[in-house]
Amino acid sequence: MIGALALLLVLLAPPARADEAFVTSQPAETLSIVDLASRKVVATLPIPGKPAGIAVSPDGTRAFVTSPDGKALSILDAATRTVTYRVEVGGGPLGVAVHPSGSPAYVADWYQHRVVAVDAASGAIAGEVKVGDSPSGLAVTPDGALLLSADRDSDAVSLIDTATLTRLASIPVGARPFGVTIDAEGSRAYTANVASNDVSIIDLAARKVVATVKVGERPYAVALAKGRAFVTDQYDSTVSVFDTGTLQKLVAIPVGDYPEGIAASRDGAFVYVACWEANTLEIIDTATLKVVDTIPVADGPRAFGAFIRRTRE
Amino acid sequence: MKLHLLTAALAATSLLATLPPAAAHGPTRQKVSEKIEINAPPEKVWAVVSNFQDGGWIPVVAKTEGTGGNAPGAKRTLTLKNGATVEEEVAKLQPEKMTLMYRIDKVDVKVLPVTNYSSWLIVTPADGGAKSEVEWRGAFYRGYPNNDPPPELNDEAAINAVTGLYKAGLESMKKQIEGGS
Repeated sequence: MIGALALLLVLLAPPARADEAFVTSQPAETLSIVDLASRKVVATLPIPGKPAGIAVSPDGTRAFVTSPDGKALSILDAATRTVTYRVEVGGGPLGVAVHPSGSPAYVADWYQHRVVAVDAASGAIAGEVKVGDSPSGLAVTPDGALLLSADRDSDAVSLIDTATLTRLASIPVGARPFGVTIDAEGSRAYTANVASNDVSIIDLAARKVVATVKVGERPYAVALAKGRAFVTDQYDSTVSVFDTGTLQKLVAIPVGDYPEGIAASRDGAFVYVACWEANTLEIIDTATLKVVDTIPVADGPRAFGAFIRRTRE
Repeated sequence: MKLHLLTAALAATSLLATLPPAAAHGPTRQKVSEKIEINAPPEKVWAVVSNFQDGGWIPVVAKTEGTGGNAPGAKRTLTLKNGATVEEEVAKLQPEKMTLMYRIDKVDVKVLPVTNYSSWLIVTPADGGAKSEVEWRGAFYRGYPNNDPPPELNDEAAINAVTGLYKAGLESMKKQIEGGS
């Protein structure tokens, strides 16, 4: 009987799926979930308050979505596609990142110049830390020790100790940093500087910028794959690619208008780009450096953050 | 006809003594799209749409002066009938897609209550190529960069002003082209 039941469960189990992209569409006020194997939208969830920022927990169980106009953070059960909590954080929540352990989630408050920590399991606010002006992008080091905040209107990145929620340093970068991305080793961080049209590369141990690379106009965010940085150039409608070792610029790949959120697949084979004006999620093959697919999503995709969800080992 | 939208914004915002620096803006960019069908072939409509150095089909425009023709980087200054000026620049010109993309480099929020404005004019064939559809799309932030904007500089005010401009502009373009002038 138990054996038969087990067999039935195996037969009923869904086939192994590929990872998913969780794409926030700001004017549509939805979250589009894209299956990355079939490259199709498999779910569209309403998220009020002009959703922008997104983070998915490393184990793929939860997603965190900011609503700047709703002054809220939504915590979702990623598998069942349901909102577990809608947490009032106040101000203008924009960037969001989650600790590698899965909790807390950190939310950047654009207007009140602070980062709020929210417990993922309970939805309770666990603390906050003052940062520079208009924090936007956030990222946590792979060991979970440090939180980085791109403080857009301070032209700097805050370095925060996650254990004590204290600000350790403010590192000057280019003008108006928006997205910030940390490499897999946790040694370097990359900021997309909207006003100086470049990327600052920070050595996290030395706590200073060690290189600056020119990219296209109004860069928004950076993804890292195969030793290369992929940068969305909002005004050029391109993704600039440079080698993170030699810092040589390789190519500017044409994509839809207003490319914004960008993230790499876990194996680094693809980079996914949300194009706000074109209403698409575009897929770049990191070997050929060409767009290989364009997926229509809901109006105004931003996908600002780490928006790829792991669905299997 | 829709000049009153801009004038209303002008009257309302003149009460504000100072505005914060325009470098910062709120996190929500807005979108507007308006379409119209014109009884003329796409080539004829595209000739008007792609001529960046003549903004005369926009009803509030009194004069167009510019440099660089219609190529990317070309600039124009529109002088409006109320005396205000708007400085604009071509971002992309794609004749094969009949698409012109341009940006506003400089405009007072008292004239048009938006910041970081880009727009697209797209011509597509309709009725088997005998007619055309023109779409005018815009992307912009509201005029007030911080939280809790005054009503005349909020998202709704920005959307209303741009929507009014687009509707009036497209109507006027239709009349101009269909009228043969």
